[in-house]
Amino acid sequence: MMEKQYTDVLIIGAGPAGLAAATNLFESGFKITILDEFPHPGGRLLGQFHEESDGSWWIGRQVASELVEMTKQPNISLQCGVSVYGLKQISEGWEVLSSVGTIETKYLLLATGAAEIPVPLEGWTLPGVMSIGAAQVLTNVHMVKPGDRGIIVGVNVLGLAISRELAVAGVDLAGIVLSPNNLFSGENANPVEAINLLMSLSHLAPSAWMRLGGSLAQKMKMGKWVSTFFPRQGMNVWDIPLLLKTTISSIQGKKSVESVVLADVNSSGQIIAGSEREEKVDFVALAGGLYPLAELAAVAGCSFLYLPELGGNIPLHNEQMKTPLSNLYVAGNITGVEGAQVAMAQGKLAARSIGNDAGLLKNGREKIAEAMDEVHQVRKTATIQFHPGIIAARKRVYEMYDSLQKESLTS
Amino acid sequence: MSKLRIVNHPLIKKGEQKRISFTFNGESLEGLEGEPIAAALLAHGIRILRRHEESGSNRGLYCAIGHCMECRVDVQGKGQVRACLTPIVEGMEVVEGKQLENKITGREAP
Amino acid sequence: MGNETADVVVIGGGIIGMATSYYLSKLGLDVVVVEKGEIAGGTSSKCDGNILAIDKEPGFDSQMSLKSQELVTELVKELDEEFEYRAPGSILVCENEEEMVAANAWVEHQKQAGLPFRMLDRNDIKSEWKYMADDIYGGLECATDSTVNPVLFTYALAVTAKRLGVRLKTHTTVTKIRLDANGAVEGVETSSGLIYTKQVVNAAGVWSKHIGQMVGIEVPIEPRKGHILVSSRTKSIGTRKVMEFSYLMSKFGKERKVDEETEKYGVALVFEPTASQNFLIGSSREFVGFQTQINVDVIRCIARRAIRFFPVMKDIPILRSYCGLRPWTPDHLPIVSRVEEVPGFYIAAGHEGDGISLAAITGKVMSELITDQKTTITTDPLRYDRFQKTEV
Repeated sequence: MMEKQYTDVLIIGAGPAGLAAATNLFESGFKITILDEFPHPGGRLLGQFHEESDGSWWIGRQVASELVEMTKQPNISLQCGVSVYGLKQISEGWEVLSSVGTIETKYLLLATGAAEIPVPLEGWTLPGVMSIGAAQVLTNVHMVKPGDRGIIVGVNVLGLAISRELAVAGVDLAGIVLSPNNLFSGENANPVEAINLLMSLSHLAPSAWMRLGGSLAQKMKMGKWVSTFFPRQGMNVWDIPLLLKTTISSIQGKKSVESVVLADVNSSGQIIAGSEREEKVDFVALAGGLYPLAELAAVAGCSFLYLPELGGNIPLHNEQMKTPLSNLYVAGNITGVEGAQVAMAQGKLAARSIGNDAGLLKNGREKIAEAMDEVHQVRKTATIQFHPGIIAARKRVYEMYDSLQKESLTS
Repeated sequence: MSKLRIVNHPLIKKGEQKRISFTFNGESLEGLEGEPIAAALLAHGIRILRRHEESGSNRGLYCAIGHCMECRVDVQGKGQVRACLTPIVEGMEVVEGKQLENKITGREAP
Repeated sequence: MGNETADVVVIGGGIIGMATSYYLSKLGLDVVVVEKGEIAGGTSSKCDGNILAIDKEPGFDSQMSLKSQELVTELVKELDEEFEYRAPGSILVCENEEEMVAANAWVEHQKQAGLPFRMLDRNDIKSEWKYMADDIYGGLECATDSTVNPVLFTYALAVTAKRLGVRLKTHTTVTKIRLDANGAVEGVETSSGLIYTKQVVNAAGVWSKHIGQMVGIEVPIEPRKGHILVSSRTKSIGTRKVMEFSYLMSKFGKERKVDEETEKYGVALVFEPTASQNFLIGSSREFVGFQTQINVDVIRCIARRAIRFFPVMKDIPILRSYCGLRPWTPDHLPIVSRVEEVPGFYIAAGHEGDGISLAAITGKVMSELITDQKTTITTDPLRYDRFQKTEV
């Protein structure tokens, strides 16, 4: 068996939250270990870029490089290609079981990010069908196009943001269509709901396509405008046809993807009979949205809350990023789906909480308040927003944490 | 190299990667050092990574971050690995995941 | 909420509650099942699926299993849905000479009782089990042992019972059992209303002690935690159940020649191939209350034990693992009984790891007890008051 390793702080996930936490902790002198299953550090930052409102480009890969550069400290060990499969609370912290053996740590930070909600439909197991995140990773991280021509399924923030990235990389896209209307799709298949969600976010995010959506919304009344005014042939957003009246009914192909069957829908998302047609593509990217990747929090024994605004089930935590389990912290998308900048601010906050709990942070309370404030500020000004109810939902999480802590103190 | 490789991305610049060779189902292929098996294969237009163990249907990469386990392939000396996370190395022998017999239901291997 | 009535209220929607409801409904009784979660949401979906005689003590225990096996062959025809039933037999394997001697005695006993047991030598094992470790001495076989998918089995019973008129109330909690002036059952109060009934079956498995307390009795059933590992889909390792002989020692709490950790967690090899190209690996036995968190140390210990018998498993990935709570009784036999001091109150619980094995016979016997018929097997060893007698 491999020899047990010891560390003071173990961070699982070398994405924006995990890396930011490490870079804000190294001055403590703690021995810090960061683990990530992906072969390269950076997490989702590696594949992300978007245009800011001033026309400049925010490039995640550069941000990741800067963060990784900052982790090059004698007391930080960054290990990629390592899988964690077990967590065990011990008297002095946590025992972490990984593919490189057991690591004992005093403080444990889970910064595992998010995963994608699958979008099942006929033909979706064919090679060439992938999640939109996979298309992003192939294109922007591995720099291999997912195919010669593809289609994006799912009109949502993630789908639109990555569509643009694919277009910038020169990937040929037949269009963006609605999620299939089946048992699994819920409101995603409804054109009015889909556009309403985008509209509700547009005033928060002054980026190019959000502005476009916002100005349309001003011209037309919300709700049924899609069915009345939106052209059936769609309209181009950065030269990608956005087909708000089109859905996908199946994916076809013998050995791998050869085409998709598209159909027109009415304003409630029902297919209009006889409108089916075939579109030749060799890849399909399914954008079902993100959910917090929180299995390890469950393995640790954390209690969970279900909040759709944050992407689903999230481990209970307070605003200082602490879970009810001693010496276990969370940061980034595991606490709710938001952008990378928010994740970084949360990583910094978690680092301060850990430093403070260890008694190593001077003016701890002020520093934590400052970091919490930074999270609020970043959230307010973030270019990409995922859900309009994030702030209220987060407040509910913190209230729940406080009330449960009070309960356990009194009982 | 393959037409699916992105060589001139307007925003993302990647450092030089060494060309190395590996095999897939016995066929010798070229890839870039450090890239995962799935990306190296896709660059050659290869999407079929395994046949479903029961149905034999073709399967490929789905999530690309190691979460969905759809891209399982066999690597000589390593056993079953996820093609989306496992970097190729010089001389690596990769074989697609295969359909298996089912002795309980009596279905034979193809 | 309106009050309803029933001939019998069955508390618990696991395999025992469903089998009992099915057999009661076959007799034309009006049955309501009250289940706090989902059908098969507890122990019945956190287990493996066998109808075994091989691990039962010769005599009453093994006869009861044999009878259950016969009933299950009938259920295969009677129930509305399939449940992956097969009867390939099962085997126990021995690690050393001492176990072979004990196995031989076990086989002789079982044969005398009329069960289809036989010894297997090293060659028998080698010819059937390509991947078994080379140093296995031999083992024994019970030819009639069968296997099912426990969740599908429970559902098949539930679906058929429902067709026969049984009302299934899931996500419904029993809050009180009403007794009349004479202390007899009068009704069941639940989170969704009152059900008037004169007969209640406590089939609440590990929670049956709690239900018993509602009528003022102490049911001596405790939760015993067990872990199971699920392999990924893989080449076939074998087609039927294998356990190590010393599983019997672990089951009956006898001393074994194993390392400290294996002893501590009660780990013994249980291998069960499934129709889904994977296999289940068990098992462990621990008294740790109602806590069902996976313990990686136990998982590792089970895996190590499995690899000792099947070295090839070293290279087969584990897909997932799960824990279940087995309703343990002090003498390893279930309670399938009237409760004399509370007229109309019955217990069908405490099967520990034999719930799937004994569900059919339990349900059948319970339906016979409630309708005052002669029971298919004698129920004396299963009586609730056997524990009270020993305490006096």
